[in-house]
Amino acid sequence: MSAFSSPLSRRRDGRGSLLLAAVLAVTVPGFLVAACSAQGTQGGQKAPGAGQEAAASAGTQGRKQSSQRAVRLLTEAAQAAVLTSYQGEEIVSRWGSGTQPTVLVSEIWHVSGGQTVTQTLQPGTGSSGQPYRSADNDAQTPEGVLGVTAPLVNLLKQNYVLAYAGSGTVYNRKAQVVEALRGDGSLAARFWLDNATKLPLEREVFDLSARPIGEDEFINVSVFGRAAISAPAGGVDDPQGPWTGPLPPARLLTLRSRGWLVRPALPDDLSLFTGAQTTTSSGTVLDLGYSDGLSVISLFEQRGNLPARLAGWQKTTVDGKVIYVTEPGQRSMTWSSKGMVYTLITDAPAQTVSAVVGTLPHDAPPGFFRRLSRGLAKLASWVNPFR
Amino acid sequence: MSHLGDRLSALVDGELGGAERDRAHAHLAGCEQCRAEAAELRALKQKLRSLTTRAPAEAAMTSRLIAMTGTGGPQPARRRLLRAIPGTAGGPQSAGRGSLRPGLPRPRRARRRRALVIGAMSLVVGLGTAAFTAGGGGEAVPGPKVTPQVELYGVEHAITTGGLPITGPPAPLNSEANATAP
Repeated sequence: MSAFSSPLSRRRDGRGSLLLAAVLAVTVPGFLVAACSAQGTQGGQKAPGAGQEAAASAGTQGRKQSSQRAVRLLTEAAQAAVLTSYQGEEIVSRWGSGTQPTVLVSEIWHVSGGQTVTQTLQPGTGSSGQPYRSADNDAQTPEGVLGVTAPLVNLLKQNYVLAYAGSGTVYNRKAQVVEALRGDGSLAARFWLDNATKLPLEREVFDLSARPIGEDEFINVSVFGRAAISAPAGGVDDPQGPWTGPLPPARLLTLRSRGWLVRPALPDDLSLFTGAQTTTSSGTVLDLGYSDGLSVISLFEQRGNLPARLAGWQKTTVDGKVIYVTEPGQRSMTWSSKGMVYTLITDAPAQTVSAVVGTLPHDAPPGFFRRLSRGLAKLASWVNPFR
Repeated sequence: MSHLGDRLSALVDGELGGAERDRAHAHLAGCEQCRAEAAELRALKQKLRSLTTRAPAEAAMTSRLIAMTGTGGPQPARRRLLRAIPGTAGGPQSAGRGSLRPGLPRPRRARRRRALVIGAMSLVVGLGTAAFTAGGGGEAVPGPKVTPQVELYGVEHAITTGGLPITGPPAPLNSEANATAP
């Protein structure tokens, strides 16, 4: 990596390592504690009584109480998503540049503290895709509903002002409403949390211009005893492969010293909150998860270079950087730089994605003479009969 | 016996003074060779005089016709005639110093030189363009060719986020390509 090419870079890298170690030491154990504490606090905490308390009350005490109540409700929702056995239908809507959202529907079965099975309807066909099964027995990679997990609630608490916004109704289910506000007071997200099960029922996400960019709903929710729920047969066990994670901070620091790009943070308050690793036929893949509590960016790294042709990908330019994106929607993007292939998968707003792509490594286009020299060498190699 | 040499031409042109002219005439009386040479010079002078008295259009036509032969180009007719006639002042003695040197005439050499320059420049430009094109693209870095396994990554991303393992579109990137869209 170029960061190790000069003494200055090494000094900077050393500071970066210290910073990374400090961040990981503070954040990752916090997430683990939060996730583990979810196991211990099982048992129906009573839902807060319905009321129209003003979330943004004038007094400091009122705001503090509102914030504490919002945090408690979200924490309970994250716990319920792990500890409750439930079945439901998750509808994810995403707005792009057009007025019509892209809607995706999945059936979800979850056994308390155990496996989650997700079967996604193929968009536009009405048929179901292959269900996949994943386990979260260790509770260190807690799956959630509508993105409400313990680590993300913790980040949400750090990066946004959480406020209790009263009660509401979602598909005839009574819910408590929690809002996430930016520092300037603008609304970033709104959550509806089920009174009865504590599970998240709906989440709305807004961009900086207050335009809705995402709406997730969890409907037709049924809660079962542990033995009562049965997932559909034929599910694939861990089709995603043997991901090892979350990686401890020491492991991440080791990977960084070996040339992997492990940054403690990305633009727009995106913090590194998890890491995982797997081995594929083409080598080791490192997954680093960054989030501000609402948006998540998964950065996948793999040593190598992109092939000359990428089927299913489209070449585009983001802030002057040439990358490849999947169609439709450009939700996944990839490029290679200095022997490393970077792939981003994210649901973050476009501005955030552009900022992140801009700060990650890219190969600078060669200068005129450098390019000419390379071309002459290539032409010479083509006509060299002795090569 | 020494002949008149250059004084013969001056005599024909009437440029010699009294005593000098008398001595030249005395020599001509006894020198057959110089008499013959003087007669040729006079005849030539007569021809040149008749050329200069032709109509201008005819003279221009003559120049063009001479140029079309490809042997002289736009040179003065008098000089070319002088060179073509042996034994005159512009004859064989001076022809060796003029444009009758061995090799191609000057315009043809110039055209060939220009063609060479243009050819060389074309070669340089073509080669440079080809090299610039071939030198584009990413730096050739050793390592395996990797095609991102989006499905694999998507599932891992979903587990990380607590969401769905679907690669649906949230919003278009703030890319230059999209910036041009309305």
